Amino acid sequence: MEDLGKIHQLIVPVFGHEMTFNLEIILMTWIVIIGLLFFGYLATRKKRIIPGPIQVLGEIFVDQFYALAEDALGKETAKRYAPLICALFMFLVLSNWLGVIPHLEEPTKDLNTPLSLGVMGFFIAHYAGIKKKGLKAYMKGYFEPIFFMMPLNLIGELAKVVSISFRLFGNIMGGSIIIMVVSYLVYNLLLPPFLNAFFGLFVGTIQAFVFTMLTLVYISVQVN
Amino acid sequence: MMTDLEWIKAAAMMGAGISVGLAAIGAAIGEGYTAGKANEALSYRPHLIGDILKTMLVGQAVAETAGIFGLVISMLLLFSPMEGKPLLTAWAYIGAGFSMGLSSIGCGVGAGIPAATACQGIGRQPSVSGHLSALMLIGSGVAQSTAIYGFLIALLLLFKSLPPEVTLIPACSLVGAGICMGFGGIGPGIGEGIAAGEAVSSVARNPVTMSLMTRTMLVGQAVTESTGIYSLVIALLLVLTI
Repeated sequence: MEDLGKIHQLIVPVFGHEMTFNLEIILMTWIVIIGLLFFGYLATRKKRIIPGPIQVLGEIFVDQFYALAEDALGKETAKRYAPLICALFMFLVLSNWLGVIPHLEEPTKDLNTPLSLGVMGFFIAHYAGIKKKGLKAYMKGYFEPIFFMMPLNLIGELAKVVSISFRLFGNIMGGSIIIMVVSYLVYNLLLPPFLNAFFGLFVGTIQAFVFTMLTLVYISVQVN
Repeated sequence: MMTDLEWIKAAAMMGAGISVGLAAIGAAIGEGYTAGKANEALSYRPHLIGDILKTMLVGQAVAETAGIFGLVISMLLLFSPMEGKPLLTAWAYIGAGFSMGLSSIGCGVGAGIPAATACQGIGRQPSVSGHLSALMLIGSGVAQSTAIYGFLIALLLLFKSLPPEVTLIPACSLVGAGICMGFGGIGPGIGEGIAAGEAVSSVARNPVTMSLMTRTMLVGQAVTESTGIYSLVIALLLVLTI
């Protein structure tokens, strides 16, 4: 039980400050990235009219997420943002499933991963909004309904980043803590596989989808 | 006389009980409501058992998040090392329990409402079940924001480094931050849930309004959430000024 919340860190001093690297998380993130690149290679290696099984899987991903993006953003804007949405979902789903394999951990278990993805979504949404509406109309949105609501509107926007990233982080970290504690209490008998299936596969997929959909919806709120 | 460590341990036990006990209330009500509405929809559309059962389980898993957060905070309280921590930690632990437990009540109920109306809506319009479950996930996800703020405040209270001496003012502001975020989370959770639930059932009535309904729901939920954000701001001020 002692390793509850323990992280292997590499601390590098830079000009009087300290930079901290969470080594395991970086390694796991690279495993996910390499896995996705390999999947992309397999899916597009032999493109045919009658597709092989992996090509079908890739086509399902692309089809579904382009359709979702077109529903939310409209046809023209969707072309620009649908690849992002599709890639985000595939990265998150593979990250959340990684914990099912022994000795591997979910990169999303560390707050740094969800928070950086949330901040990325925030900047993309606001960039899309400024580009579509122009800076003046964009700024005007903060002074509605009355001008002195501006600070609260601003905090509300920032709170979206907190809620989207802590939702993913809390679910995945919570799942892994519950699996660890319950496995310890039942001496690793019988229960852990079912818990892994529930928290890793089921909740992991749902939360990856929720994160992706919320990023898409935040973009669509700014654009429309 | 009790030592500092015993006081901190006692407070951790109490905080753990408050956290998971209160968090269980809302999540259970929300899930039960979803299951009830799913049964109702099945009574007149028995052949849609697959779709309705799937939506019910996904919705219940999302509504359970609030309960799981409560369980996680109570496990962190019970199992984290306490040796050598200042006595003020005891107050922070009780505050963490209140913050997580109370804020989960509203969010569990709120996340259950859209899940329930999605089950009903699939009974009404089986052809748009994909749209309905996507809207349900967005709606109940947003309805949980205040439970997530409660989780954030609880984590801050658990891991903040505190001064060694105990005086009444920081002690009360630690517990006060927890109570502030906890009670502030109840209302917005239920309110956002109602907004999401009505949006889902409206799309089930008239599926072409999907994108308009999503936008209106999100704007309405953002306004509903503002009271929760006031609580978050005050709770952060209380915790960070110590």
